[in-house]
Amino acid sequence: MNSACLDALLSQVEKPARYTGGELNSIIKEDAFVKVALCFPDVYEIGMSHLGTRILYNVMNACEDALCERVYAPWPDMENALKQAGEPLFSLETKRPIASFDIVAFSLLYEMCYTNIFTVLELSGIPFYAKDRRESDPLVICGGPCACNPEPIAPFMDVVLLGDGEEMNPELLRVFAACKRNGCDKRDTLLALSKIEGVYIPSFYAPQYAENGDFIRLQSVEPQAPDRILRRVVRDLDAAPYIGKPIVPYLSIVHDRIAVELFRGCTRGCRFCQAGFIYRPVRERKRETLMQQAKDMVACTGYDEISLLSLSSGDYSDLHALVPEILDEFAPQRVSVSLPSLRIDSLLKNDLERMQAVRKAGLTLAPEAGTQRLRDVINKGVTEEDLIRSVTDAFEAGWNGVKLYFMIGLPTETEEDLLGIADLARKVSQAFYSIPKDRREKGLRLSVSASSFVPKPWTPFQWEPQDTKESIIKKQQFLRNALKGIRGVEFAYHAPNISVLEAVVARGDRRIADVLLQAYRNGARFDSWDEHFKLKAWEDAFAAYDIDPAYYANRRRDTEEPLPWDHIDMLVSKAYLKRERENAYAATVTRDCRKGCNGCMGERYADYCKI
Amino acid sequence: MRIIARFEKTESVRFVSHLDIQRLFQRAFRRAQIPLAYSQGFNPHPILSFATALSVGYTSEAEWLDVKLASDMDKDDFARRVNGTLPEGFRIIEVFSVDERFPSLSAIMAAADYTLQVFDPPADLAPRIETLLSAPIMVEKRTKGGMRTVDIRPMLYDYRYSNGFMRILGCLDAKGSLNIDLFMGALLKQDASAASYRVHRNRIFSNDGVLMPKMPERLS
Repeated sequence: MNSACLDALLSQVEKPARYTGGELNSIIKEDAFVKVALCFPDVYEIGMSHLGTRILYNVMNACEDALCERVYAPWPDMENALKQAGEPLFSLETKRPIASFDIVAFSLLYEMCYTNIFTVLELSGIPFYAKDRRESDPLVICGGPCACNPEPIAPFMDVVLLGDGEEMNPELLRVFAACKRNGCDKRDTLLALSKIEGVYIPSFYAPQYAENGDFIRLQSVEPQAPDRILRRVVRDLDAAPYIGKPIVPYLSIVHDRIAVELFRGCTRGCRFCQAGFIYRPVRERKRETLMQQAKDMVACTGYDEISLLSLSSGDYSDLHALVPEILDEFAPQRVSVSLPSLRIDSLLKNDLERMQAVRKAGLTLAPEAGTQRLRDVINKGVTEEDLIRSVTDAFEAGWNGVKLYFMIGLPTETEEDLLGIADLARKVSQAFYSIPKDRREKGLRLSVSASSFVPKPWTPFQWEPQDTKESIIKKQQFLRNALKGIRGVEFAYHAPNISVLEAVVARGDRRIADVLLQAYRNGARFDSWDEHFKLKAWEDAFAAYDIDPAYYANRRRDTEEPLPWDHIDMLVSKAYLKRERENAYAATVTRDCRKGCNGCMGERYADYCKI
Repeated sequence: MRIIARFEKTESVRFVSHLDIQRLFQRAFRRAQIPLAYSQGFNPHPILSFATALSVGYTSEAEWLDVKLASDMDKDDFARRVNGTLPEGFRIIEVFSVDERFPSLSAIMAAADYTLQVFDPPADLAPRIETLLSAPIMVEKRTKGGMRTVDIRPMLYDYRYSNGFMRILGCLDAKGSLNIDLFMGALLKQDASAASYRVHRNRIFSNDGVLMPKMPERLS
């Protein structure tokens, strides 16, 4: 794109710096044999905050004959400006049109970003459906956690990548480069790519449905296609490449700090949590590796905050050595350290006070459910006692802002469980105000947030019905009343429309693809943003294809019913998920797998897990 | 030790906002291992201030910052180290080491000199400017108390125009400043859009000529 044209576009949009690139540490290669446009289908500030795409950006740019440039979903003002000017969407690094890349790769982090994929494709003149694309069109691929049920977007994708990308993506680029060099056509290229562990080629399979519309199976239509696609796993995370020199954005982004990834996977086994199952087994980085990464990244970015990231950072086995070491290392430089998803225990108490001495951060805890019974159902191994002790410690250490996250609509939930949320909030409030005034901050800010439960594939709750919209709204009102009068409490909740859609798309089959595209055509964009969400666009899209969202969201599925993601192998076995489901109903807690193997992968992949 | 520096903001970073620039310099100082002094109090922050904000989309060779260091260092070494780590598009041009009691930048600045390039200027732009300047220029201005109508004519001290290029000498002090976009809006009316002209700040003047050049009577 020429600069006059770019200027004209940029002068029309609210935040031009979303599209200008040129940030410190961004990687600009003039040319390469294989060009990848790495696209995060949300706005810059969100996409730039995502660690996974940053790893892939670094990893793919490290490949010798490849270059990788960033693309984010254009905000509606930019989308309109591009359409009016008749200009194609372009990459941040070299402002190349997206269609001129060999591969367009989407990161799928959230189902409600899917419509933005269409914005990117349309503004690039790339046909939506894989079957409509020509030999000259780029290969459209995707990966990320949502790919664990790729079926709702499968018809739009040439290739789906399952699992960790650190090794898989470079391998994909190597195979692709060889195909390109040999002048392979698209089918031969896809065949070659399908041999890579973790690669799924949707067009090699066709869905079969019963007369009543039930999904039966995905039938292979390509003799060489594997029956099941095994998720790719990086065995040695400590040796795996990380994000290199982090790009330092000009704009303030959502997670505007350095992140070191302590470990991947989680041993807790919370039964609602998809991430807890699809990233198994736990793989840790060594403390020395993390310290070195933190030092290097602070030096080359100038950031003043480091976040110790993972699904449950409090579980890092070397945490009690890491936290003081990293605090000591960076305190002289006034670089603060934050620990999200924190489980406070008494050993950490002193370090907590020091963390605050550098910079104050809020405290967020996620009991998820209001009663011990329901917490046992979801296997959230946290007790009321833990929680009250944690917040009391924090209050005495000078905190006065606490966020408590809960879910409503969990399987087996009753009124008592909702009242339990209010009860817990009351006890936290009392814990604060019972501390003498001179030993705590003045006022408590206790935010109680209730999201609606969305059953997800690859969890023990994958067969569960979601609460209906009406029921969720009723429960929200009930809870709001129950929380009234508790000192310092603020209740945060959301209209359940988005959760319902999320439930449909998360467990959908290929028939949902048409609905997604129709919703986009009806104007759906940035659906996770309240200001953009258009319920009617979705309702009309479901009506247009005569699809009842309740069939996907609110129906209890039989455990013997074929599931649209049965052809995927995420390592955790279906038998284990069934067993965990039974345990949930019995309110039986399953131990943290650091305390002993629960056999989640069966015999098949025993060597994957080093715990 | 207190350092005042003039820096430029060029083409490639003209969309970086003032708020982003504050953060950007803090990070650049950290990368360059400049020993910054921090404020006291509960949430210490570097003691760093800027003369004035530049509108998003403008370029400039007259941006001024004022920063306090925890220990002394050679001012040229400061500039060298910071320039070694600033992102492309920003560059420190001159540095001064000043006394603690030296007034703030916003207290000494008095006026600024801009060059504007007007794209596809209307043929009668020169007489239009003359006409506009012959009377009060009443514009709608957003203030804390809502929209207000103000006369910006007194803040425009001098101008030159030829062939699509305009120079403007306008007020820029602690009490107020000539808003170029409001002036161009009044001049170009419906033809005005952010894409119809470009603005570059050449200089910021002071009243007494200390650090910043002394404000001239008229543009040369």
